[in-house]
Amino acid sequence: MSALQQYALLFGMVVATVGLALSLGVISRSLGRVRQEKAKDVPATSGKLSPDPVWGRYHVRYYGYALLFLAFDMEMAYMYPWAVVYKELGLVALLDMGVFLMVLFLGLLYGWSQGALRRQ
Amino acid sequence: MSAVLTVLMLLVGAYLVAVLEGWVSTGRLRPAGPITSGLALLGRESVVPRQPDRIFFEVAPPLLLVAALLAAAVLPLSPGLVVVDLATGALFVNAALAYVMVALVMAGWGPDGTYAMVGGFRFLGQLIAYSMLIVMPITAVAMRAESLFTTEVVESQAVLPNAVYQPVGFVIFFLAAMGVAFLPPLDLPTAPGELAGGVMAEYTGWRLAVMRLARAVLVVTLAAAISVFYLGGWLGPVLPPWAWSALKTLLVAAAMLLAGRYVPRLRETHVLEWGWKIGIPLALFNIFYVGVLLLVVE
Repeated sequence: MSALQQYALLFGMVVATVGLALSLGVISRSLGRVRQEKAKDVPATSGKLSPDPVWGRYHVRYYGYALLFLAFDMEMAYMYPWAVVYKELGLVALLDMGVFLMVLFLGLLYGWSQGALRRQ
Repeated sequence: MSAVLTVLMLLVGAYLVAVLEGWVSTGRLRPAGPITSGLALLGRESVVPRQPDRIFFEVAPPLLLVAALLAAAVLPLSPGLVVVDLATGALFVNAALAYVMVALVMAGWGPDGTYAMVGGFRFLGQLIAYSMLIVMPITAVAMRAESLFTTEVVESQAVLPNAVYQPVGFVIFFLAAMGVAFLPPLDLPTAPGELAGGVMAEYTGWRLAVMRLARAVLVVTLAAAISVFYLGGWLGPVLPPWAWSALKTLLVAAAMLLAGRYVPRLRETHVLEWGWKIGIPLALFNIFYVGVLLLVVE
């Protein structure tokens, strides 16, 4: 299979999955509709609507980690091509990436020492 | 052809995982359980909450299923039985699994309910903890295979499976995979008994059926990923290749489900702390260790 065919097949799987979900919805609807009853659509909060917007109820206290995560996630994009040619290049590859990873790791240690790795 | 077979195997696996999960959590073995409860969910009302973000609410369950299926599509059951043998297979698994987080955050945000919202944002935190621990061990696996083809990753383990060759990576990847599938000690987004179902709290009827199916398929997918990357996939004596793949996948899934029975649910703070203070240094060490081993031994 060519690359284009492969991705076409994957796209076909996505479409088929969405079709499955939709057909389940149609079957369920054909068996009966939702009866309109008072306060049935209140979310699970002990029967009372939250007075504030619900997103105010959660504080994203892990933002310190989130910033470090960005740096590490970007780094991984370079790791994959490097991993494939690693054996070919040998020691040079190990040293090159070793320096790069060491810089990142020192960054992690610095972040740790400054209190980035805790609940803010 | 192989696409149909793979999807069938996934569905059988999802059914077995659902039976197993029921057995582990209730102590009763009910082989018909997943089928009867699935049919019952189809017959029930699927209520839409009061002020939903309708697009997020509707898209989340199918998206979770799509993410699990796409990741499974590049994992081989036997040398010929793989839906697509992508040149970027090992990377594609990561890309597909990233959408698990997107789906769960959408499921949390969509219904505009407090418990769901807390569950969704918690899972975002969980992603920050586990994501690197998925990506880094796979890098070390690719280093040994010199390729991102999942089939070549399996073939590289002909002499010694990666679980023995790089045990640190195996343990890290196993735990991180449990985080992706939000299985018991790491089931922060659903947290039964604490968040009233979390991201699944506002889903009822057929939407919940899709969501539960997606979760079961996700567990099978991750078990298959562990078997392909670390346990030598289809390799093994006597039995045909597909049987080895199925057996290893099921055993890994059973191990993942059983682990949660003996460990209490972790706090989000602890998951993040241990993930970054212990997990990432160990994962980096694993890459270095494999690198040195490859240069010295081979």
